[in-house]
Amino acid sequence: MVDPIGAGMVALSAAIAVGATGIAAALGEQVIGSAAIGVMAEDEGFFGRGLVMTVIPESIVIFGLVVALILLFVTLPTI
Amino acid sequence: MFEPQAMTKVIIAGSKDYMSIVIDALHKHNAVHISDFVDEDDDFRIGKPYPNAAKLSERAVSLRSIASYLSITGKEDIQKRYPEGTITDEIDEKTEHLNVEVAQVTDTISDIDSRIKDINDKKRLLDPLKSFDLPLDLYSGYQSLAVFVGTLKGLPAISDITNDYELEIVPYGKGHAIALFVPKEFEDDVLKRLQDQSYSALSLPEIEGTPKGILGALDAQLKELESEKEKRQEDLSALRKRYIDYILASDEYLSIATQKAEAPLRFATTKNAFIIEGWIPTKNLEHIQRDVDRATDGHVMVATDTSEAVSAEKTPIALENPMPAEPFETLVRAFSLPKYNEIDPTKFVALIYPFLFALMLGDIGYGVVIIVIGLLVRRLLKSKGIRDLAAILVYAGVLSLVFGVIFNEFFGVELFGSKGLILPSYAYPTIPRFDNVLTLLLVTLVIGILMLTLGYVLGFVNEYRQHGLKHAVFAKVSWLLLLWGGVLVIVEILPPLTTGTAISISPALLAGLAVAVVGFVFLIMGEGIIGIAELPTLLSNVLSYSRLLSIGISSAGIALAVNKLSYALFFSKGGVFVIFGVLLLIVGHAVNTALGILDSGLQSLRLHYVEFFTKFYRGGGTKYRPFGYERKYTEEK
Repeated sequence: MVDPIGAGMVALSAAIAVGATGIAAALGEQVIGSAAIGVMAEDEGFFGRGLVMTVIPESIVIFGLVVALILLFVTLPTI
Repeated sequence: MFEPQAMTKVIIAGSKDYMSIVIDALHKHNAVHISDFVDEDDDFRIGKPYPNAAKLSERAVSLRSIASYLSITGKEDIQKRYPEGTITDEIDEKTEHLNVEVAQVTDTISDIDSRIKDINDKKRLLDPLKSFDLPLDLYSGYQSLAVFVGTLKGLPAISDITNDYELEIVPYGKGHAIALFVPKEFEDDVLKRLQDQSYSALSLPEIEGTPKGILGALDAQLKELESEKEKRQEDLSALRKRYIDYILASDEYLSIATQKAEAPLRFATTKNAFIIEGWIPTKNLEHIQRDVDRATDGHVMVATDTSEAVSAEKTPIALENPMPAEPFETLVRAFSLPKYNEIDPTKFVALIYPFLFALMLGDIGYGVVIIVIGLLVRRLLKSKGIRDLAAILVYAGVLSLVFGVIFNEFFGVELFGSKGLILPSYAYPTIPRFDNVLTLLLVTLVIGILMLTLGYVLGFVNEYRQHGLKHAVFAKVSWLLLLWGGVLVIVEILPPLTTGTAISISPALLAGLAVAVVGFVFLIMGEGIIGIAELPTLLSNVLSYSRLLSIGISSAGIALAVNKLSYALFFSKGGVFVIFGVLLLIVGHAVNTALGILDSGLQSLRLHYVEFFTKFYRGGGTKYRPFGYERKYTEEK
């Protein structure tokens, strides 16, 4: 028996997990990205290291995605 | 095998009499990386350029100005190469001649341009007056009358100053154009009133006739001038066609000659001798030694410096990889060149990058599309960097196709099987991504653990070479132990944690804990207590690999959405809607392909740069720039 409210809650949780971490990562990358582009304007060789620094906050979205995937594909079918 | 090209430090020394011969010989080989001499003292001075350097640059400047007039960029291809000898013989005369010929045409063109500009200026001035019938010469030259010709925003209200005036007015732009005649004594008052309305006077050209007539004549002149200009431009492109080979070739010749003439600026010289310090790829060493020896009759010495003082820091780096892996050098270079005693990761990148890319994209349809794009780009574009990226795309496309077969995806549709488009005569086991999320999540984490392990092993090798065994153990083995100990512990305790049963103390759990503790002790011994702060990165690095699944699923999800949408909105209705359905499919999948290339490409790159490279790779090597020239347009004498 599927519990529609429970299922909805799980789906919403998954959405919040991805959405909130996405915003968080964007806030971090905004600052780092503009600084990295500033350095690249001076020295194009910085591209590789600039990319590395820019994507560091992105891990948080990936964690959010993992949480969302587990919610959707593991928790949801059990409800 | 995993190092940059072997380099030998050389010191080339001899009498100045042989300097130009040595320069020629070295330049021909295009293999010696010269270290610029900078530390001048009383004995050794920086060499002086040959006296012809100034003249050569002068010629190059005039040739390049001709080239820019003829819009020759220096990237064109030519039919056959120019022998260098013929250029040397005739360059002065021919460049002078060419200069005159081109200048004639360009002067005419700039003359025409200035006349066109002149006419346009006049047209602009007369335009507001085009509906006034008064001939132009009647707007000036009165003793008792003041004339105001121009534009203003509002209306000229001057009836309170005088009623004795003549006004012509038409709407123009956002305001009006006026020609106002008043008696001279009211001139100042009227002007003030007009200025309140933002009056701007027109300074009329001295031409006879009505504005309309003049405008017509000007238009005719303009047309004539423009066709004349077109003809001259055809002349210019004829000149370009005739001389492009010569210009490209002599520009190259001048670049080479200037390079040679200025070479002594990089040497150390005494009154009678010169010394060049530099690096030669070890495989070319003997050949160059022999050639210099022969050219100078043994008067110049090419000595190798194998002393301990030769530092790996300064050795120039030329990457050396077999052809299939070579395009991936671009990705390594974009990060940083390796140091001389560091592992060149290109071969690992070549194996892993397309694999990770394809794991994310994993679709037969998209795989085929990006193979085609890659091949097309390689055929059409010449830039080395772009061609390398295209080659990488082709590798990634082929593997995406393979993963597409495994995941059974074709533009988001199931291709094989009972629900698919094609029912194969024998079924093979496929792994549809949406049905196997957890399994694939585990697979991505395992990939992460393996890649980190490889990273730490390579890091161990690098540290061992640079700082010795003890350091390597503390810096890298510590992490390796922590990683695998942690993996063992998590594998043991995760299932009971999720099901809520008690954790049983198994031998594997104890072993894992022991290994992790040893690793932890090594870490503290190596890096001090601050090492603890770095511990969480291990977990986040492994989890980071789960993006391989997340991005793959998003890409497949978008494809699925495009298919479902086009069916629900259009195909289900039939008739003309089918056309819209097809359009939606094409646009949707095109966008998803672009996203797929960009996202899979960047994320795969990131997994290399951030998670993998940081375990072993520092980079910071100097690029190997041999003294010489890649000839494109000329042949050596």
